[in-house]
Amino acid sequence: MPNNFNKKIEDALSSLDGIKKASPSPYFFTRLEARMQKERSIWEEVSSFVAKPFVAIACISLLIMINASVIISSEKSNQTTISDQNNEIATIDEYNQVSSTFYEYVNTKP
Amino acid sequence: MNDERELIALLKKKDREAFKTIVETWQDVVYNTALGLLQNAEDAEDTAQEVFMQVYESIDSFKEESKFSTWLYRITVSKSLDHIRKKKRKKRFAFIQSLYGKNDELMTDPPNFIHPGVSMENKENAVVLFKAIEKLSSNQKQAFVLNKIEGLSYNEIGEIMKLTDSAVDALLQRAKKNLQISLKDYYELSLK
Repeated sequence: MPNNFNKKIEDALSSLDGIKKASPSPYFFTRLEARMQKERSIWEEVSSFVAKPFVAIACISLLIMINASVIISSEKSNQTTISDQNNEIATIDEYNQVSSTFYEYVNTKP
Repeated sequence: MNDERELIALLKKKDREAFKTIVETWQDVVYNTALGLLQNAEDAEDTAQEVFMQVYESIDSFKEESKFSTWLYRITVSKSLDHIRKKKRKKRFAFIQSLYGKNDELMTDPPNFIHPGVSMENKENAVVLFKAIEKLSSNQKQAFVLNKIEGLSYNEIGEIMKLTDSAVDALLQRAKKNLQISLKDYYELSLK
């Protein structure tokens, strides 16, 4: 590394020696308080809206409807499963009849 | 120390005057730390406000097992690093948007950062150093800023970062080495 680079690097690294603390601009606390007040009033608005009776009732109704639709759709899929099973059993029976008939035919041939 | 305990006890009861005293006592520390990490006065002010808001909200969770200053530094560093991550995400998103021809918000690089506490004769060198500090990893940046800008000892930094003195020393050694590399690259490039 060239010597002048070394010197420049060392100068840069020591440029923070004796640094003084920076301060925020005046009335920092006033601005902080104003911001906290603003955020508090936003939350108060949101929570007062959510606490209204019609909002609570609407949320509960929505929950009930969702639960009901899940129950109904699961019952429908159960019925579909049962009729699918019945079809399967019928197919198996038919296959057994056909294969036993064929077996009898094969074994009775001279 | 007793005064501090009393203030904290009052703050837990949401006493306004106690909160004001705490803010006025510690605002320079919080702002200066945030400024060293964020290198932007507006961002540092925003972050400093968020730090005190968090202090106000979560003072009950301060168990007084560590010093109040340690707790405060931890919140400040955490909020500052969160801010840096958020800014990087915004930049990435803006870049992707620009690929699709949507570039309403121009994400330009900020002008050179000049720390107000640096002496006149060191300002030019300090600008270059801060550019190099920006490239450090989070941990190295944290340790370097707390040591060089806040003037904290290895022991104090260790308490904040939950590291031993030797781990802090190793971190600072690595930070210095990386800064030397960045500075060398910068000066070589400036010659071309």
